[in-house]
Amino acid sequence: MRTAAPPALPRAIALYAIAGIGLAVWAFPVVWGLLTSFKTERDVLAYPPVFVFTPTLANYREVIFGASSIVPNLVSSLIVATLATALTMLFAIPAAYAMARLRFPAKRGTGFYVLATQMLPPVGLIIPYYLVLQKIGGLDTYGGLIVIYLTFSLPFAIWLMVSYFEDVPLEMEEAALLDRAGRLGALWHVILPQVKGGIAVTTIFVFLNAWNEFMFAVVLGGNRVRPVTVAMFNFISVEQTQWARLAAGAMLAMAPVILIGLFAQRHIVKGLTVGAVKGGGRR
Amino acid sequence: MAGARSLEQQERRFALALLVPALAVLVLTTTAPLVYLGWNSLHRIDLGMPWLSGFAGVDNFAKMGGDPRFWNSLALTGVYTASTVVLQVIVGLALALLVLQIPKGQGLLRGAAILPIVLAPVVVGLFWRTLVLAPDVGLVDMVSRALGLPSRNWLGDPQLALISVIAIHTWQWTPFAFLVLLATLATLPPEVYEAARLDRAGAWQRFFHLTLPLIRPAVVMVVILRTMTALSAFAAIFAATGGGPGSATEILNLYAYRTSFTELNLGYGAALAIVLLSITLVISYLMFRLRRARA
Repeated sequence: MRTAAPPALPRAIALYAIAGIGLAVWAFPVVWGLLTSFKTERDVLAYPPVFVFTPTLANYREVIFGASSIVPNLVSSLIVATLATALTMLFAIPAAYAMARLRFPAKRGTGFYVLATQMLPPVGLIIPYYLVLQKIGGLDTYGGLIVIYLTFSLPFAIWLMVSYFEDVPLEMEEAALLDRAGRLGALWHVILPQVKGGIAVTTIFVFLNAWNEFMFAVVLGGNRVRPVTVAMFNFISVEQTQWARLAAGAMLAMAPVILIGLFAQRHIVKGLTVGAVKGGGRR
Repeated sequence: MAGARSLEQQERRFALALLVPALAVLVLTTTAPLVYLGWNSLHRIDLGMPWLSGFAGVDNFAKMGGDPRFWNSLALTGVYTASTVVLQVIVGLALALLVLQIPKGQGLLRGAAILPIVLAPVVVGLFWRTLVLAPDVGLVDMVSRALGLPSRNWLGDPQLALISVIAIHTWQWTPFAFLVLLATLATLPPEVYEAARLDRAGAWQRFFHLTLPLIRPAVVMVVILRTMTALSAFAAIFAATGGGPGSATEILNLYAYRTSFTELNLGYGAALAIVLLSITLVISYLMFRLRRARA
């Protein structure tokens, strides 16, 4: 960490003012949304805006128990995101270990292939998926959505896990191999415990991305499988001016990811930086 | 020798056993659909008029030449991508450099920076469309009313709408650049700066000759990742403007989507997606080369 000389007072004030603006700009829409979710629709449209108001739970009651309940959508999102994440990790962890540590033919080419699949624009995938799923009756099913979620989560998870496997000291692995533990035994008993943190961070990222996905969900979903992102979008076309209700729904829909984000803050920063910082030296 | 060779063979076999499942899934879920996308782009597939569907050769691609909406979307993609990436890097880097000099309270700002990143882009788009940018009652208009400025239709006016969607994207993703660059700056050895200070290097000089070269790999990585995100930006624009008014915010990604799933012309949509795919791959190839050449 760089230790600067203690800044002079006017400079310090300027620095804190700028940091304060950054803080306000990033946090305020979310805080404002939270406030709005406890307002009556009349308070939402008041000018000048009201900061002190009698909070109401009516909006939350409506989006949980009312006719426009988003609970089924939350369940849909949970099923899709959980299963997609589990499948992703199941395939990604072994592959990432091999790419980080083992010698095999066409290793560089394999790395590029995985990277290239990560670059694909989603709109290029959604068209063939739609046509095929429509033919085989796979629209509006959990299977269809989970499979297409693998297209963006698997390459991402493989690359993130590779960077964690590369951090494990080589000696540990060699020692385990000399112990005649066998390759699989060494991976299972020695290496995997070392990357537990990496697995947790990767799982969080994959889950977040799956929970927040919209384009695939809106095209391939339907009346039965409608993740919460799609429900939010439909909300505004159906109940155009019910902003307090929309805010309550959005807060509920985003509560899991906001909590994960704040709770796993330091890990998220690490997850974001691993690729960027280490990427400088790799490939 | 024989032992070494069998060990190597054993390692290779083990590697394949670990890799093949994931690679098979990737081939089946990404490469095979792409081949099918290419095939579709050579067909006329109009779900509105299915009786007209059939092989069309390169007609879909030839059609783009005389399609003003395509050229408009291409130009918008350039403007949108370039401006959002440049803004994110400049604002993110500037803020990171400033925040690094703050002894206390960095954690709070890092926490706030996480918020936009974890939100679903569709929710961000909806938030901005209603609570932030709505005429008269949105946050921006409330502030400008308080300052005595006129109210504006931020998402209804073509030019303002483009500025708005650029602002929304920049708002959501600048924290990424900020966090990555802040973490990178924090790892730089202090001695480098001490030496420069003894040399009486000015602050700007220090930045351009010392800091920037040291964090270059991280900056380039941020640019690559942010460019990819901007090229396939969708949900926030779709929720805020739907690509409109008219086609004022319709970047190529949205045009391909709307052609396919609003106008149900999937053949032409597939061709547009192929163009976007090619642009994405060419840009990423060039950027990765740039990184290796100068890193």
